[in-house]
Amino acid sequence: MSALHPFSLLAIAAALPAFAWILPAPTGGLATAGLALMLPLVPDPRWGVRVVRLALLTAAPFWLFLRLLHDGPTTVAIGGRITTMVASFVWLVAVLSPDRLVEAMVARGWSLAVAYVFAATLSAVPVLKARARRIVEAQRCRGLSPRGSVANRLRALRALALPLVLSALHEVDERTLALETRGLGAGVPRTPLAAPPDRPAERVARWALLLLCLAALIWRLA
Amino acid sequence: MSVRLLALIPVAVAISLALSAAVDAVALPLFLDTTGTILATALAGPVVGIAVGVLTSAVNTLRNPTFWPFVVVQVIVALYAGLAARAGLFRSLKTAVPTGLGLGVIASLTSTPISYFVFGCTTTGGIALTTALGRALGLPPLGACFFGSFVSDFGDKAVTFALVAAVLHALPRRTAARFPLALRAIGAT
Repeated sequence: MSALHPFSLLAIAAALPAFAWILPAPTGGLATAGLALMLPLVPDPRWGVRVVRLALLTAAPFWLFLRLLHDGPTTVAIGGRITTMVASFVWLVAVLSPDRLVEAMVARGWSLAVAYVFAATLSAVPVLKARARRIVEAQRCRGLSPRGSVANRLRALRALALPLVLSALHEVDERTLALETRGLGAGVPRTPLAAPPDRPAERVARWALLLLCLAALIWRLA
Repeated sequence: MSVRLLALIPVAVAISLALSAAVDAVALPLFLDTTGTILATALAGPVVGIAVGVLTSAVNTLRNPTFWPFVVVQVIVALYAGLAARAGLFRSLKTAVPTGLGLGVIASLTSTPISYFVFGCTTTGGIALTTALGRALGLPPLGACFFGSFVSDFGDKAVTFALVAAVLHALPRRTAARFPLALRAIGAT
């Protein structure tokens, strides 16, 4: 499944929740949820079971809170839709490689800036999260107490957040220099190194999914 | 868009997501997930802020898919922060905190219909429980949903605005001057 073109994977992950909300509840939502939960099992059932388990664990609290706030039929109607959304995205994250997506975007002629922003964000988040944890530990070593009254906690939050944000902002200068050195501002299109193959059958399938969504929407609104 | 503003976008998104570690450490009921959006807007204007907001929602969606429909709230936050920055409302905590409280009301008004119609008010455990509290207090379903969103957004946005104001004031003037809106946001021009 991960051999599919990244745009095809995105199309499947977007179409399933769309159908879940368009088709009549609860049958539509439950059917799409079943499909979304079966997707990971197709290539490798052993790997797929782990993905399905993660999807079910993510969706479970929603069912609990829905039951707390709504009656049985409403819980099933909304729960099916939310489970579809959760299962589709959990599957997408498991099968979609960000590097392949960026390559596909560049190959399709998307601006290099868009591709850079997407890839740089995915790599910056774990780096900054790790730095945030180090700052928390360092400030605790210096005697910062993040407990007590709300005012005390807010002061502690300031002492933890300011070094993180300021150090991140200083990094913008370094990134700017690095990007200018690599010619990002030149506006010249980049040649993709290993563009994922986009088979004609996949392109047809993506258009078919879009047309099916539109047809279902028109049918529901008519 | 200049290369500097382009470089700011991933950093601002990462700030929004990394601050959860600081929030966990102080154990306060805050999200601070719009910090990067507001900061980027105060530094570089609403277009950069909207890009940061959309990307923050997209990255959050990879972790929890229910974040995506709330991308609209991030766009509203960027537009509001843009107006606040142009009016110099980050000049002190006395102006930033009330502005943040105003955003809290607007953000809850925006997120309530999404939360109610798409998720039945079950977006996070905290919001679901405060919504249940609202129902127990006799509020109608939509009113209880607004109550849940309001409780979570009101204080969060005030603290976020205060934090962004503190960052803008702590930023060296030379660094701030490299961004088009930063000095105006703190009332220095």
